[in-house]
Amino acid sequence: MNGHHTHDTMEHDNETSRLDRRDFLKLAGFTFAGVALTGCEQARVEKAIPYLIKPEEITPGKASWYASTCAGCNAGCGILVKNRDGRPIKIEGNPDHPISRGGLCAIGQAQVLGLYDSQRLQGPQINGATSDWPTLDRTIHARLREVRAGNKSVRFLSGTMTSPTTLALLKRFLSSFKDGKHVVYDPISRSAILEAHARTHGIRALPHYRFDRAEVIVGLEADFLGTWISPVEFTAAYGSGRTLEGNPPKCSYHVQIESRLSLTGGRSDKRYAISPSERVPLLEALLALLEGKSQSAKLPHFSFLNDLAGRLNSARGTSLVVCGSNDVASQILTNAINELLGNYGKTLDMQSPSYQHQSNDNALQTLLTEIRGGKVGALFVHGVNPVYDLPKGREIGELLSRLPLVVSFAERVDETAQHAGFVCPEPHPLSSWRDTEAVAGVVSMTQPALAPLENTRSLMESLSEWLGNRASAHELMQQEWRKSVFPRQSAEKDLAAFWNRSVHDGFAAVAPRPHRTEKYDSRPVQNVASPETGADSFELVLYPKVSMGDGRHAHNAWLQEVPDPITKITWDNYAILSEAAAKKLGVLSGDIVRLSFTDPTAASGIELELPTWIQPGQKDSVVAVALGYGRKGTDRFANIGPRWFEGKPSVGPGGLVGVNAAPALQFLNGQLLYERGGVRIERTGRHQTLACTQTYHSIDTPPLLAQGSESRRPYVQYATLAAYAEDRAAGGGPKHESRSMWPEQHEYKGAHWGMMVDLNACTGCAACVVSCQAENNIPVVGKDEVHRNRELHWIRIDRYFVENDGELDVAHQPMMCQHCANAPCETVCPVLATVHSEEGLNQQVYNRCVGTRYCANNCPYKIRRFNWFDYLHEDAKQNMVLNPDVTVRSRGVMEKCSLCVQRIQEQKIEAKKNGKKVADGAIKTACQQSCPAQAIVFGDMNDADSFVSKRIADARRFNLLADLETRPSVGYMTMVRNRTNKSDETPHG
Amino acid sequence: MVDGISILRSPLILGNKSASQVTDDVCAPLDRGPGMTWWFALAVSLSMFTLGVIAVTYQLATGIGTWGLNSTVGWAFDITNFVFWIGIGHAGTLISAILFLFRQRWRTSVNRSAEAMTIFAVICAGLFPIIHMGRPWLAFWVIPYPNFRGPLWINFRSPLVWDMFAIGTYFTISLVFWYVGLIPDLATLRDRAVSKVKKTLFGFFSFGWDGSTRTWQRYETVYLLLAGLATPLVVSVHTIVSWDFATSVIPGWHSTIFPPYFVAGAVFSGFAMVLTLMIIARAVLHFEEYITLHHIESMSKIIIATGGIVAMAYMTELFVSFYSGNEYERFAFINRMLGPYAWAYWIMVGCNVVTPQFLWFRKIRRNVALVFILSIFINVGMWFERFVIITISLTRDYLPASWDNYAPTLIELATLVGSFGLFFTLFLIFARFLPMIAIGEVKAVLSYGRKESHGKAREEEGRKVGEYEGLHGGTS
Repeated sequence: MNGHHTHDTMEHDNETSRLDRRDFLKLAGFTFAGVALTGCEQARVEKAIPYLIKPEEITPGKASWYASTCAGCNAGCGILVKNRDGRPIKIEGNPDHPISRGGLCAIGQAQVLGLYDSQRLQGPQINGATSDWPTLDRTIHARLREVRAGNKSVRFLSGTMTSPTTLALLKRFLSSFKDGKHVVYDPISRSAILEAHARTHGIRALPHYRFDRAEVIVGLEADFLGTWISPVEFTAAYGSGRTLEGNPPKCSYHVQIESRLSLTGGRSDKRYAISPSERVPLLEALLALLEGKSQSAKLPHFSFLNDLAGRLNSARGTSLVVCGSNDVASQILTNAINELLGNYGKTLDMQSPSYQHQSNDNALQTLLTEIRGGKVGALFVHGVNPVYDLPKGREIGELLSRLPLVVSFAERVDETAQHAGFVCPEPHPLSSWRDTEAVAGVVSMTQPALAPLENTRSLMESLSEWLGNRASAHELMQQEWRKSVFPRQSAEKDLAAFWNRSVHDGFAAVAPRPHRTEKYDSRPVQNVASPETGADSFELVLYPKVSMGDGRHAHNAWLQEVPDPITKITWDNYAILSEAAAKKLGVLSGDIVRLSFTDPTAASGIELELPTWIQPGQKDSVVAVALGYGRKGTDRFANIGPRWFEGKPSVGPGGLVGVNAAPALQFLNGQLLYERGGVRIERTGRHQTLACTQTYHSIDTPPLLAQGSESRRPYVQYATLAAYAEDRAAGGGPKHESRSMWPEQHEYKGAHWGMMVDLNACTGCAACVVSCQAENNIPVVGKDEVHRNRELHWIRIDRYFVENDGELDVAHQPMMCQHCANAPCETVCPVLATVHSEEGLNQQVYNRCVGTRYCANNCPYKIRRFNWFDYLHEDAKQNMVLNPDVTVRSRGVMEKCSLCVQRIQEQKIEAKKNGKKVADGAIKTACQQSCPAQAIVFGDMNDADSFVSKRIADARRFNLLADLETRPSVGYMTMVRNRTNKSDETPHG
Repeated sequence: MVDGISILRSPLILGNKSASQVTDDVCAPLDRGPGMTWWFALAVSLSMFTLGVIAVTYQLATGIGTWGLNSTVGWAFDITNFVFWIGIGHAGTLISAILFLFRQRWRTSVNRSAEAMTIFAVICAGLFPIIHMGRPWLAFWVIPYPNFRGPLWINFRSPLVWDMFAIGTYFTISLVFWYVGLIPDLATLRDRAVSKVKKTLFGFFSFGWDGSTRTWQRYETVYLLLAGLATPLVVSVHTIVSWDFATSVIPGWHSTIFPPYFVAGAVFSGFAMVLTLMIIARAVLHFEEYITLHHIESMSKIIIATGGIVAMAYMTELFVSFYSGNEYERFAFINRMLGPYAWAYWIMVGCNVVTPQFLWFRKIRRNVALVFILSIFINVGMWFERFVIITISLTRDYLPASWDNYAPTLIELATLVGSFGLFFTLFLIFARFLPMIAIGEVKAVLSYGRKESHGKAREEEGRKVGEYEGLHGGTS
């Protein structure tokens, strides 16, 4: 009342501008009280000092973007780094980049968190003690002089290096020694592909696989959509061959033959489970069929090859057979098949090959022999962690400790760096200059988005220092580009302009380096030896997980908490067994088993103890274990998540996250082999909780509880390609008619935001999950909380095992808030904390929420997430990654997908400033932006021309639980598989 | 004793009591002072309550995550306990108001305790919606109070808001009803009190009751009006509580039969709890002549009736789920019967459908020990009914990928124990300081079923004139 009164007098005080006595006393009273209260408060002095002179590039509240290159793996995807107030807070895919085409995987998305890891080395180390660069350089110079004087050799051990500048410098550096060599290996080695091509094509190269040109794709143990070579690129390419556009609908035919169910296998049109020992016979049989040497496969269980051979024969030049094994024999046979089908030069590009993997396992073995023989005087280790990721790592560690000079470039004191006298940490890739030529002809640029947070120096700079002419990475790159990159293009005449454009674009398209190609040589194929099969024991398959890869990002909490696309397990690795095998062993999921085997080169047997996970699609005789776990230092996660008396740590019994399976690797025929036979499995009687985000895995309700035809829930619409070609609405149930007796509750006069998710494109790779996590300040909750089903990811990728036409399909369904027009959550909130916007968004008002959780109970999609505790960053420095546009939620508050309302607002403001409507596609939600398969489309449903409206009009469109009359703004599109026989069951919805 | 009994009606109060005897008997426990049993019982209840306080304090300090809830199951123990206690709180008002209006005179022996039980149960119930919130310190936001936070108001479409009103009203009316009924007895206590403190206190709370005809007239009018006011509340509270579920979209919750089903269940469980408490009280406080086998039988009969409605509701639910043609509905009920929580369902059916059937037998109804055991079973069964409805429905709703299980944590168990501790502590304190039987009302039914009651009363009148006034609560 008083407020109104004062306000009124203020408005009408033209005649009288003085306060009356009462108002004066009131105001005075408030002022004094305010002063007195402020005086009492012992407020901490926060330094929020405005810029005296504003840096040109920084406008507070406005993001700046830097084109760069992802260094999460070797694939070299283009990224855009979003900076707010001077610090990177988000990474997005660079839509113009020729390799990744705008997508980015989960690992790439999570890189920005690693930037703010306070456990990264703060400066160089000498013998475990912090030092400074001048001291370190003096000592190394002195040691290098000794090495040069002596007759010992210098070895530079690294992962695949795709940087032209670094490689050139390294070449100069190594040539300054009598015997200097660069040895390359990757923890997940693709050496056999290169080796096989060296034998069959006379060139040690990795072909650039062109899935976009392939109409028949055969994947043999190659998880090319998940972890194999360049998954983002391959996902985009694969998707472009399965758009279902045109008539007949465009859809490649994909057969996957593998021992464990991979992400790629889960969405194939036909899938066969084989054991590793069957692979070579299978390839031989296929080759024989294609060559016409045999009319039908000899082995009865390979009879499916007859049909496959027919398909391949009819797609000569437009087929692609890829093999993911690191066995040279298998790769040689694969080359022979591709050669026979005429795929080289078409779906396998050898003219501009891929540099994404250059591992040479032979050279690695030679190096290990040299080290053992005491021939090596100095060893530099960059980008790999041999003590961790090679078999007999402990022995390697002991050998390293005895070497005169070991220099590591690790970002933290890892398993290998602790044996190195010198550690020269490199800056985080987001704060350094680099270049990358991942595929011949595409030189990508990495530019710093932030000055290094630690006292670090890039490898280029270190090498230049040790070569005697110190220069900055920026200078070194420009020198190299002048020499070897600029001349390979003709678009720009001026080096500076070329450089600037490359920095701006994030890449430069240049001519590939000329490659010598030789004629195909079929002789190696004749010499392929079939490996012997182990009887009555298991074959072990070691594989990289989608989110963890080789384990180099094990310190990234976001990645640890990404649910595996197939098993949906977080925070652990495990021994995957088929149901039959588990039954035979008498184990259930979570029971710890002991895997033991003898290695001829090891003195005693090797054992691994891991919890079991039972998985459909797994070959009965195979046990599969993920690499990349059990990393040193992951004990930091013991206390991540809330601490309370029933809370449990996020680490396993060994104190680390997961178990390192690398001791089970073996060198066989010169290659690092990710499989081995003769593995015995025993129960230990112990149990370990696995934090799986799903407790039920099938789309069919349990048979006991199902009522005849109602067993299948109609949430994932499915159609065969044959049915789809006839009827575009195939697989869809009867369309739900809206029968409301109420008038329209909401009018959407302006925009009405909507989203469509194409289940046919989605691979379940979880890139969107991490992208959303980074964009929306979603905390990591820890293993125990995930186990309690309290993960906070706003996107949950529901994974269903579906039996379609006798095939085991894995349906991935990203579930975010459906933003219903008749939202069940909105009516039940007692305090109006969740309300409907006039643009159709279901908005959560965190400040108003009292946390009754009624909205979550009443959400039929169960997409609401609750802050059961205060979930803090395990590392306080990582608060720097928080997006200032999104509120950080406290405990007791409900949250959920907002359709990136902050991005909508940003573009609306932008459009308003320009006096235009928001253009279709201008707003990209975080999940949509990151999706390598471009499965997600967002836009204005009121705009008939928008992409999302077109998708809504598509016959494949369906809404989840439409019969509840919730009228969601998020829709899905039918999953189509390239199969001929029509499905007898038509899911209804 | 046998001589005085009518052949048509058995007396409600045994022992051929005179009015003064009633006063003496009912006040005896208050005069006697606390015995070892009472102290022991209080120690146990207080310990349970303390355990609950510790658990809730820990939960408030640490976070609601100390409960076993998850993204799929947002309510489990908390709301189960809430509905359970609200249900318990139903018998009191039913006995006081509805039985009063229906002239069920036997109610006089049990109505006081039943009303007290109602109030304590509603207190226990009311705690859960508050502590179950993520931010309980903001619980007052569900009240539509004038505020300066802009146009912030509550959502009148939310059943939780209706709940707040329903329970608030119910608690207020129950409390007033109980208190008004207490006034004549408070005056009796005042007149009997020896210590000055007690005299002053009871004097204050009895509002200067003078026992005059005019006072009684006013009193009875007010009582009748309050009974009329309370009657719709008996139906409304649990109806509205059931809307928390009935208006939702979750299979197993979304059901139109919930209001009558919940009300019947509440009366069912309320009477079971009244039986449990009264059987203990009559044994410990020697009220066998006031709370007679006839009372126990009458309440058992109500249990049979309401238990029948509950059983019918279970069957109707099943029938509707199959008849509806709604696959989710069907699944929800098959899952209840055969799914991972089938044990809870069958405990519920066993306790709520099978147990009451024993009460058809007069012999069992008149066997106090057996009735006591059966009442405990019904209490357990009704707790499980709420657990089955609330928790099992949530664990398996629409999307199989978000199905999940629920198990309570120690904190939740301690909170449940604590709510029982609070309930019994309050009840023990009540039993110690206030007359557990409505003295004034019981005196009015003394003559019921007695042949010579009038003659007898006259005789007594002659002998103890002063006591006559005591019959109606003393002099001013």
